[in-house]
Amino acid sequence: MSIKSTLVAALAGTVLLSVTPAHAEFGDTLKKVKERGALACTGHNGSYMGLAEVDDKGNWKGFDIDLCRAVSTAIFGTWEGHVDIKPTSWAQRWPSLQSGELDLVIKSSGWTFSRDTEIRAQFAQPYMMAAIHYMVRKDLNITSAKDLDGGTLCLPTGTTMERYAVEHEAQNGYKLNVVPFEKTEEANAAFLAGRCDAMMEWDLQLGVLRATEAKNPDEFVILPDVLSAEPVGIVMRQGDDNWVDIANWVQTALLLAEQAGVTSENVDEMKANPPTPAIGKLLGATPGMGAPLGLNDDWGYNVIKTVGNYSQIWDRNIGKDSPYKVERGVNALMKNGGILYPLVLD
Amino acid sequence: MTTVSDVNTHPQPLNTGFQPDGLGARLRRRYFRTPGNAMISLVGMAALLYLVYHALDWAVLKAVWASPDGTSAVCRDIAGACWAVIQQRWRIIIFGLFPYDEQWRSMLACIAMVATIVLSCLPWFWKPLRLSTLWCAGFITFYVLMRGGLFGMRVVMPADWGGLTLTVFFYAAGVLIGMPMAVALALLRRSEMPLVSRMTGALIDGVRSLPLITILFTAALIFPFVLPDWLQGDKIWRVIIGFALFFAAYQAEIIRSGIQSIPVGQEEAAKALGLSYWHRTGRIILPQAFRNALPPTINQLVITFKETSLIVIIGFFDILASGNAAYGTGEWSFAYFEVYIFVALVYFVFVFSLSRYGAYLERRMRFGQH
Repeated sequence: MSIKSTLVAALAGTVLLSVTPAHAEFGDTLKKVKERGALACTGHNGSYMGLAEVDDKGNWKGFDIDLCRAVSTAIFGTWEGHVDIKPTSWAQRWPSLQSGELDLVIKSSGWTFSRDTEIRAQFAQPYMMAAIHYMVRKDLNITSAKDLDGGTLCLPTGTTMERYAVEHEAQNGYKLNVVPFEKTEEANAAFLAGRCDAMMEWDLQLGVLRATEAKNPDEFVILPDVLSAEPVGIVMRQGDDNWVDIANWVQTALLLAEQAGVTSENVDEMKANPPTPAIGKLLGATPGMGAPLGLNDDWGYNVIKTVGNYSQIWDRNIGKDSPYKVERGVNALMKNGGILYPLVLD
Repeated sequence: MTTVSDVNTHPQPLNTGFQPDGLGARLRRRYFRTPGNAMISLVGMAALLYLVYHALDWAVLKAVWASPDGTSAVCRDIAGACWAVIQQRWRIIIFGLFPYDEQWRSMLACIAMVATIVLSCLPWFWKPLRLSTLWCAGFITFYVLMRGGLFGMRVVMPADWGGLTLTVFFYAAGVLIGMPMAVALALLRRSEMPLVSRMTGALIDGVRSLPLITILFTAALIFPFVLPDWLQGDKIWRVIIGFALFFAAYQAEIIRSGIQSIPVGQEEAAKALGLSYWHRTGRIILPQAFRNALPPTINQLVITFKETSLIVIIGFFDILASGNAAYGTGEWSFAYFEVYIFVALVYFVFVFSLSRYGAYLERRMRFGQH
C-alpha cells in the first residue's frame, strides 16, 4: 500500500511539474497558423446554443464560431478550408490552449484573475458582456426591475445569482421574495409554469430558454436592467503580443464596420468610396493595416465581406434573426448606449 | 404468479396429475390460482397496460414522424413524440461532424467495423491466423475509409470523426488492444518472480484506483506536455491506449480469477507431462480460464461499451455528444427526449446483442462439459 501510494504521488508530481504552460514568442502563433494553413479554434463537445451549434449538414454555426472565422479570414482571406473548429469541453480548453492544440479559445470565457495569472492566459479586449437580466411575463406589463417590487423570483439556491439580486435590490430600493429551488432546471420550469413573476440569468441563456422551452416565446420579455455582467473575451497564450494585436484589431474591424454602417452587402461600395479615411484604411483602399500585423492590407475588407460586421454576426446567431432574439442591450455600441467600442484607427 | 412453494422448495416437480396443457390453463395456474392472487395479477396487468398504452400513445399514436419542410413547425402543439428530429438530424447523431458529402465513407466504415465484430464472434474465425487477418482487414478498411487520402478520397482527420462510427471504433480498438494486455497482465501477476508479480500488481491496482476520466484527460491533454513530439501520435490513439489500459486492468483481474478457479492439479499434471509454459498456458490454462470467466468478461465488455461515452469530456464527438449537438439548436432543442431515446436504443441494440452473444457462448462452452 505504501509503495503504491508513494508511486502514485511520485507519478502525479512528475506530471504536475512537467505541465508548465508553453510560453509563446512574439509572432510565433501567426507563423505556426500560416504554416499549418488553418486556425485551430474552439467548438463545443455537443452544442452550446447561440454560440456554437451544428446545422443539419454537420457544419458549425454560432457567434463564437463566427469570431473564429473572422480571425481565420483576416489571416487567409477566406475561412473556408482554413479554420479547424475543434470540439472542446469546458475542462479541456485551457490545457489544449497551453499545449498548442488550440490557437485561440473563443468559448464564452470570462476574464478572471486566476485565468489571467495562474493559467497564464492572455485575454483580448472583451467582445461581449455576459449580462445578467430578469425575465418576466409580458402580461405583467412592467418595464424595469423596480416595478417588480413585492413580486416573486424563482432561483436555484447556492449560485451567485442570489447575491446579484440582493445587491441590485438594495441599490435600487425594491424587494423580491425568492422562491428557492435545488436545481436550475427546476427553477426554470417553475418560472415557465407561472410559479414566479421573474427569473434571472445571463441574457443569452434567457433567450435560449424562452425560445426553446416556453410554449409561447412571445409571452416573455427580458428586462433591460443589468444586474451584473462578466466580460467575455478571446483567450490566447501569454507572450505573443502580435497574436493579441490581431485578435483585438479583428474585433475593432467588426465594431468599426458596424459603427460606420459597413455591412457585407455594401462593403464593395464602401471600399470604392470610403466615407472616412479610417474606413478606407480598414478596407484596404489605402494601405497600412496589414504589414504591422503580419497580414495583407485588405484583411478588413475580407472579414466584413465574408463574415459581416458585429451586428450582422449578432443578429444572425443570437439576435433578431435567430430563435433567441437577444437584444444588444449593454452589448450595443457606445453611440447606442452600450459599452462596446472600436479602437481608434489613425 | 408462481408461489414460492411450488418451485423453490421442491427441486423435482411433484406429480400432481396436472396436465401441462394449453395457454389458458397455464395462465390460470400461474396468475389466478387464488382470489388474492388473481387480484394482484389483475391490478398489475392493469397498471402495465396503462403504462404501455401511454407510452405507445406518446411514442407511436400521437407522434410526428417526419418534417416536410425541414423545420420543427410540424411538431408544434402535438401531444406525442416528435420523431421528425431524428428524420432531420440523424446524420449528426450517426456521423457527428464528418463532412456531409463524405458521410457514405463513415457509414461504410461503421458497417465494416460492426461486421468485423460480428464475424469474429463466429466460431469459424476462432483460429489465431483467421482472427488476426479479419481484424487487420477490418481496421485497415475502417482507417482508410475514415481518414481518406487514398483512392482520391479527401483526408478527414480523426478530430472530425464522430457519432456512432467513432463510438464503435473507439470501443473496438480499446477492447482489441486491451484484451491481449489483460492476458499479459494476468499472467505476469501470477509470475513466480516476486518482482514481476509485485510490479504488475502495483500497475493493475494503480490503474484501477484512478478514475477513467483522469486517465483519458491525462492521455489527451497532459501527455502533449510530457512526451516528445515524435512519440505523441494523434490524440485519438493516446486516448485509445489509455482506455485500453483501463479496460486491461479490470479484465486482467477477471482472467486471473478464471485462472485461479482451475484446480492446481491440472497445471501440475501438465508440468509432469513435460509441457512447456506456453503449451500449458495456451492450451490448458487460458481456454478454461476464459470459459470460467465468461460471465464477468461479458459484464466488463458491456460496461466498457457504455464507458466510451466519457470521451466527450476531452472533446470527442461520440454518439452522446453528437446527440447533444443534434437537438442543441433553437429549432430542435425541445426534442431532447426523443434524441436521447434514439441514442439509448442504439446503445441497447449493441449491449443487448453483446449479452445475448454471451449467453450463447456460455451454452456452447458448456456443451460436452456435463
